Amino acid sequence: MRLQLQNFTKCFDGTPVIEGLDLTVEDGEMLALLGPSGCGKSTTLFSICGIYRADGGRIMFGDRDVSDLPSQKRNVGVVFQNYALYPHLTVEENIAFPLTVQKPRPSKSEIAREVRAIAELIHIENLLERRPAQLSGGQQQRVALARALVRKPDVLLLDEPLANLDAKLRLEMRSEIRRIQLETGITAILVTHDQVEAMSMCDRVAIMDKGEILQIASPTEMYRNPVNKFVAGFLGNPPITFLEGHTATEGRFAMDQGLFLPLPSRLRDLPAGQRISLGLRPEHFGSTGTAQASGRIVFVEPQGREMLFDVEAAPGVVLRSVQPVRDDVGVGDEVTWGVDVDRMLAFDMDGQTL
Amino acid sequence: MSSSADLNTGVARKSRRSDRRRPRISGLGLALLAPALFLLTLFFFAPVVLTGIFAFTDLSTSTGIGRGQYVVTPNLLRQLGDQGLTEDDATAIASVSITIDEAGIARATEGGVDPDFLSEIADRFAGESFDDPRAFSRELRGLPNAPRRPRELTQTAEYFETSVLNTRFDNPEALTAQLADVAPDVSSDTIAWIVDRSYTGARFTTANFERLATQKETLRLIGNTALYVAATLGLFNVGLGLFLAIVLFYTPKPVTSFYSTLWLLPRITPLVLYAIMWKWFTWEDGFLPIVAEQFGLPSFNYMKGSVVTAWMTMISLNGFIGASFGLILFSGALRAIPMQQLWASEVDGANRWQQVRRIILPQMRWPILFVTSYQTLSLLSSYEQIWLTTNGGPGRTTTVWALEAFTTALSNYTGNLQYGLGAAMALVLVVVGLVLSIIYLRLFKFGELVSRPKIEL
Repeated sequence: MRLQLQNFTKCFDGTPVIEGLDLTVEDGEMLALLGPSGCGKSTTLFSICGIYRADGGRIMFGDRDVSDLPSQKRNVGVVFQNYALYPHLTVEENIAFPLTVQKPRPSKSEIAREVRAIAELIHIENLLERRPAQLSGGQQQRVALARALVRKPDVLLLDEPLANLDAKLRLEMRSEIRRIQLETGITAILVTHDQVEAMSMCDRVAIMDKGEILQIASPTEMYRNPVNKFVAGFLGNPPITFLEGHTATEGRFAMDQGLFLPLPSRLRDLPAGQRISLGLRPEHFGSTGTAQASGRIVFVEPQGREMLFDVEAAPGVVLRSVQPVRDDVGVGDEVTWGVDVDRMLAFDMDGQTL
Repeated sequence: MSSSADLNTGVARKSRRSDRRRPRISGLGLALLAPALFLLTLFFFAPVVLTGIFAFTDLSTSTGIGRGQYVVTPNLLRQLGDQGLTEDDATAIASVSITIDEAGIARATEGGVDPDFLSEIADRFAGESFDDPRAFSRELRGLPNAPRRPRELTQTAEYFETSVLNTRFDNPEALTAQLADVAPDVSSDTIAWIVDRSYTGARFTTANFERLATQKETLRLIGNTALYVAATLGLFNVGLGLFLAIVLFYTPKPVTSFYSTLWLLPRITPLVLYAIMWKWFTWEDGFLPIVAEQFGLPSFNYMKGSVVTAWMTMISLNGFIGASFGLILFSGALRAIPMQQLWASEVDGANRWQQVRRIILPQMRWPILFVTSYQTLSLLSSYEQIWLTTNGGPGRTTTVWALEAFTTALSNYTGNLQYGLGAAMALVLVVVGLVLSIIYLRLFKFGELVSRPKIEL
């Protein structure tokens, strides 16, 4: 079911935290609300499920305006960050809960059937008799997901579902949640501050800051073509390196520290002397490239498959490079590596992408 | 020696969990603990032990707390008569003998009898004795200085009477000898029995418990106490407390704090003041009867006027004190339920009532149990409020065990305070309380409760 926020506004104590937000999630799509803490992504989520009431605008589930409906009547499934399982109920009772509070209440056998079906989908058939305290974090997570899905909600909302899991489980649950979302074909919103989660699990990512959606795009598109410096800086790990300076003659970029780099070819027409900043992602500084940059390696961080190098090109200018593991260079070595100039990002002084 | 000790600790360590190793006892620690231990002994342990000791005595105002004496009173003879002492024996023991001796003269002088008359008596009858007081009176009348009024004459005669009755003896042997002397026909067994019973001091006995076990009143007291504790707990301490806590939980903050404070008032009001307020509220000219009168409802002293209203008054005035305890505890427990759980239940489609019944109440099990057990113990032993208000009335219909123990031992209307019986009743309460505490501790598994959170977040 298509979900739409139209001119959505939410205030706390009279102060608007979100003003006039528009968002559409297509039927069967999984969209990530990505942003730093306090950006309003959870507020948006809680408003969609009715825990918070919107102070303006409309929230539409398909053609149904749910803005003024209490959360009980919205038919949404929510997975909370701490799973919010009912500790006094077994897994089976937890999952059955949304069905048992329905009026009229479905028959026992019907409830049992639904619970079993969803438990099979989520692979927790063998846990039904347990209580939440006897489950691992990942199992609790699955139970929460089953409970959210059992009454076939119009929309599935996930509030930082992986934040409380350890790294390995996080990886596993990432693909599990995506699998289940695809299998059920449910429209879903994932709230997260983790760009990897957002990009790996979702069809599209909406990046939020200070109560505003800055950009909605597919993960790849957003990574390649961020609309502004904030988006560029938020996406990517290790993060992008920003170089401050101004355009110089002959299509060059002059760093404040006195270094020169060629401008990306699409920006050669910029008048000289304009202040801009360039964004260089670590994967675009390394063995290949259309220009060269030299410096001394000041820091090496092996990451198993890859290595991360910090190269000091000039005092105060550290370029970051990520490369396949290599043993031939180390801290203190002088290196000259290639810069993929055309894939560098450029921003004006307002932070907008040029 | 040391090797066996090592062996022992080794075994002990193995049998216990490793994290529960026996703590080492340090001198400094003991020194720091000493004041607390001293106070604990003085104020907690000693009263219980003393109660236990007193419970097995017949200590009362009449026995006093000091060493007793041996006195045969007419009263005692009457009692013994009911228990099989023959009329003849009783008469023999009560018999009066008259002997004119130095002691009698001294008593009479002290009593203000005319010295001339006395010296005549001494001259004339010294060393003589009479069995019949009348004969002696006749003899006295014949003396020249005898007073003219018969009453003075009788009084004078009485100074020379000696009787074992009402005479205090410090030891049983003296009394036995005297009795044998006065009533030689009474068998020595009977005398021993009488001597034993004539002791005025306290003595060890299980009579208190026999009395408690057999008297009808006990059943009534138990019934009253059970009703009092159950109704106060169920309706107020738990019922009202829980209701208020849940209502306040859903109420906006500013209202909440004001309202909670309001419910604390009964607890922080001095008890006497609180009792007086209830009197104003329920007595004949008080608020409730006057209001009731306006509406044409029965208007009387609700506190003492009828059994039903007395009970209602007693339960509510105790309940309002206890409700705040439950309110505070339940409010805390409610706030401890993660907000997201409540959100989850709303999103899952549960309405308020379903949320309360299916999510909140089941998780309030521990606090409810705690309030129940804790308040049972305090209600069982509380009597002050009842004493200050209905005082167990009308009649003895609202008398509970603790109040009865208190009045028996410390505040008896007749003035004969039966410390021993009161202590026995108190001891029963202590034992019941201990047993309940142990049951509750088992029920709670307190160790488990504090060591590990019930919910993993």
